[in-house]
Amino acid sequence: MEALKLQLQSLVNNMKTTSLKSDTNIKLPLAFILYALIAFVVAQGVLLLNSDLLVSSQFRLPSSWMGAHFLLLGFAVMIAMGAMYQLVPVAFLTPIWNQKLGCLQFVITVVGITSLTLTLGFKPTSAIYGGILTIFGITLFIFQMAMTISKQKQRNMISFFVIAAVSSFALTILAGFVLAWNIAYGGIESHHSILYSHITLGVAGWFTLLIFGFSYKLVPMFSLSHGFTLKWTSLSFSTYVFGLLILIVSFWVDLDALTTIGWLFLFIGFSFFVLDMRAILLKRLKKKLDKPFAFSVIAIGNGLVIHSLALILSLFGINDSSIWSWLIFLYVMSWIIFSILGYLYKIVPFLWWTHKYADKIGKEKVPKMKDMIDEKMSVVLFSLFVVSIIGLATGALLQISLVVLNFQALLTVTSFLYAFSIIRILFR
Amino acid sequence: MSYGKLVEQSLYDVVDPELGINIVDLGLVYGVCSDENNNVIITMTLTTPGCPMHDSITNGVKHRVSQLEEVGEVEVNLVWEPEWSPSKMSDLAKELL
Repeated sequence: MEALKLQLQSLVNNMKTTSLKSDTNIKLPLAFILYALIAFVVAQGVLLLNSDLLVSSQFRLPSSWMGAHFLLLGFAVMIAMGAMYQLVPVAFLTPIWNQKLGCLQFVITVVGITSLTLTLGFKPTSAIYGGILTIFGITLFIFQMAMTISKQKQRNMISFFVIAAVSSFALTILAGFVLAWNIAYGGIESHHSILYSHITLGVAGWFTLLIFGFSYKLVPMFSLSHGFTLKWTSLSFSTYVFGLLILIVSFWVDLDALTTIGWLFLFIGFSFFVLDMRAILLKRLKKKLDKPFAFSVIAIGNGLVIHSLALILSLFGINDSSIWSWLIFLYVMSWIIFSILGYLYKIVPFLWWTHKYADKIGKEKVPKMKDMIDEKMSVVLFSLFVVSIIGLATGALLQISLVVLNFQALLTVTSFLYAFSIIRILFR
Repeated sequence: MSYGKLVEQSLYDVVDPELGINIVDLGLVYGVCSDENNNVIITMTLTTPGCPMHDSITNGVKHRVSQLEEVGEVEVNLVWEPEWSPSKMSDLAKELL
């Protein structure tokens, strides 16, 4: 064998060998994802029971807070954290710093988010206690990610997107805590500026920057793209982050012109990101994209439309709070949630396949990743999600209660079926 | 047939679970070396560094080759240079994509 190794050495003397073993125990990301799926269905159920509030665009009442936080913290944040435990090692080629800390963080965050959302709905003055636990859990997560990313040998643009996203997340949580404190004890006058900063940092800072960053790894991987040139990445990052800063400053100085400039930069930053994604997809080898992944790609188009709508509304000085509330709803659902729903159909089969079949490859016939999902069903579910969101937004803007009730019911049923379809993967 | 060729033939059974195409047609196998004792070293790559299928595929290669009769030690040498490119794929793989 030694002689063979020497012979091989001459063959591969120009080849670079590296060990990239960096996988995470699948129980950790799966735990986050399973909790998130339950929260997703509960969130839609809560919104269904309070559909009258949706019709009157009453987004600042306890029941709406409960539904929104189950959706954003319980579903989207938990999915994002679970996915990061899986994707950070893949994208940064570095293992998770401490997986035991991850398990502890999961338990604390679950107790925190569940108690926070329930108290927001039933006893807002006590929300501070669940809030403290949630902050503690999320702080542990941020510390975990900071330690993991600090081990990365060479920073790239994905690192910068993720670092900016995690920093926005930390500020979102801080602002959320101040808001909960103010509800409980009062005394802070700039409640609205903090609230708008909290929303912007959460949805545009944390989620959008995170999806941007991982898209640079996942889109080429799932479309098998090669030979593309990324011209806009650093511009997309700097413009979007600058737009975020301007928009947040505008909430504090109360200057409409600054708000418009903020949205303009966010729109430009998003457009640069779209140009890069287009460049990747034009060079794809996989001509027929998997349907769930195609849905995530469509969500990028939705994001661009929402950013352009926000810019147009801002340019024309339209400040109607119900229109902006629905625009935020569409931003969350059609861009962030749709991206997540599409990617989950790739992430969960991968996790389960690795758990069940990774050791059997080469020994016996194993299923393909695509065999783990019902792709036809996914098309039906994704179509129903699109129909529900369009119907819901239209009904609410036209103030027709029956339309809102029916489409929210459709969204709830679709969410349940979606969660069921993902959980079914674990029985294959 | 040389033992190296036999090993290469067996690698057609190792399929990338994401793409559903075997690793030889995908052009992931750069070379197979074997000696008189049938010790084997397979030099291969993956389509992208940090591919999540890293361990599954390399272990799959080891498992499959270890099933061959009279095989000695099996080692998989994973390399990133030269980088994989679509030109390394067979016509069949291109057609399947």
